[in-house]
Amino acid sequence: MSMKISNNIRRLRFDADEMSQQALAEQIGVTRQTVIAIEKDKYSPSLEVAFKIANVFAVPLEEVFSYQ
Amino acid sequence: MNLSFKEKGLIASLIVTLLVFGNYFINVFQRLRTDSAGDTGLVGIIIVIVLVIILEATIHGFLSIQAEEEDERDKLIEKVSYRNAYWCLNIGVWFLIVQVFLDSRFMPLAGLTTTPYGLANLLLFSFIVAEVVMFITQLYYYRKGI
Repeated sequence: MSMKISNNIRRLRFDADEMSQQALAEQIGVTRQTVIAIEKDKYSPSLEVAFKIANVFAVPLEEVFSYQ
Repeated sequence: MNLSFKEKGLIASLIVTLLVFGNYFINVFQRLRTDSAGDTGLVGIIIVIVLVIILEATIHGFLSIQAEEEDERDKLIEKVSYRNAYWCLNIGVWFLIVQVFLDSRFMPLAGLTTTPYGLANLLLFSFIVAEVVMFITQLYYYRKGI
């Protein structure tokens, strides 16, 4: 069975006062299209962007991304 | 279908390239089947290049209203598309090098004359095919994900 990276960004945004994709994109320095692609598991971000996302939501990296 | 600025720009560039250069190469290949030695075709290529610049500038001018800055995903997709385009161009250039070394043995088999005009246009054709492959690769990865 092949492993893949999945994420909880959509839920984390919802929990963070329904933060918009645009607001998250601005905080992590990417475009809204890239946030959409990450949420849909169509793009695995760089380690730097992954850490930035975790920092925005103030959670550990493994709470944002999982590899299974 | 919800298209991003990038995808709209790529589709526009792809259509412009296919229409303008497609029309140009249909004429070129017709002329290469008849011996057009002495005709450099310089005016034709200048018209095509100016036309592409005007169309691209106009279309991207309209689309730039919603433009977004490039990020790491754009750069990654661009890199993959350049690699694919590089291989297409590589094949075209090597084909032409072999043509020159073998004294143009293959082109007459396709009914094409082997003038410098013909070789230059086949080189240009390789560039345009590489360009089209680059656009299609980018569109594919923006849609499918990378």
